[in-house]
Amino acid sequence: MDDEKVLIIMTSGPDTPRRCATPFFFATLGVAMEYEVSMFFTIDGTLLLKKGVAENVYPKEGGKPVSDFLQDALDAGVKIFACTASTELHDINPDTDMIDDIKMVGGAWMWQEAEDCETVLTF
Amino acid sequence: MANINGCNLPDDLYYYIEKHVWAKPMDDGTVRVGMTSVAGKLAGGKLAGATIKRKAVGKEIAQGKSLATIESSKYVGPVPAPITGTLLHGNDKLAADPNLAINDPYGEGWIAEMQPTDWEGEKGTLATGAEGLAAYQTKLEADGVSCD
Repeated sequence: MDDEKVLIIMTSGPDTPRRCATPFFFATLGVAMEYEVSMFFTIDGTLLLKKGVAENVYPKEGGKPVSDFLQDALDAGVKIFACTASTELHDINPDTDMIDDIKMVGGAWMWQEAEDCETVLTF
Repeated sequence: MANINGCNLPDDLYYYIEKHVWAKPMDDGTVRVGMTSVAGKLAGGKLAGATIKRKAVGKEIAQGKSLATIESSKYVGPVPAPITGTLLHGNDKLAADPNLAINDPYGEGWIAEMQPTDWEGEKGTLATGAEGLAAYQTKLEADGVSCD
């Protein structure tokens, strides 16, 4: 186990906008604390990584879109992974529909990463 | 105290300009570190937290690596170490009032104290005095930053 590694599992998506900013904020904060932070998107979370979606999800009316929080996390160095199986749930083509800068992985990746991390958070 | 682009910057501190943090050698050989008024401005002017990473206390932190974090409702970011050294302790007063780091950044709002690994060797990498402040001014103007 690596006490400097953190995994954030993101299951919330566009149907629950208010749940879609804080996980990115916590991820960015984790990097600022010198943790190595990965985010794993599955269930509805995967939709936030579909091209054109995060720009139109607003956690707070009149506030920043989720895409801004996502970009902050990427800029900080958060590594972002999406569950390939969950793309099927939403009829997303993992080869063409997803944003850049992320990696598609299988469910077993999540188990192995979770084993390596001291802290795992789920949203 | 110099005023550069509206930012208060004492000329007796040592600045790690890239990261907007300062270092001040103390009489006992330790070094006190904190954020500059520029960092406070960039953070949005009002903090919800200024936190030392507990596990980092007692460990050596390399110059530029995070020794604390600051967060507001709209911003989160590291407070990088201006020098390499062992993190001795954070400023306990920040727990009750994190905004000391912004309202009194060179006084009560210091962030942490470190035991420098090689102050004499490393202080040359920091900006200080009139020459250092001129370099800081160049950086602020290049970045278009003003504290007004």
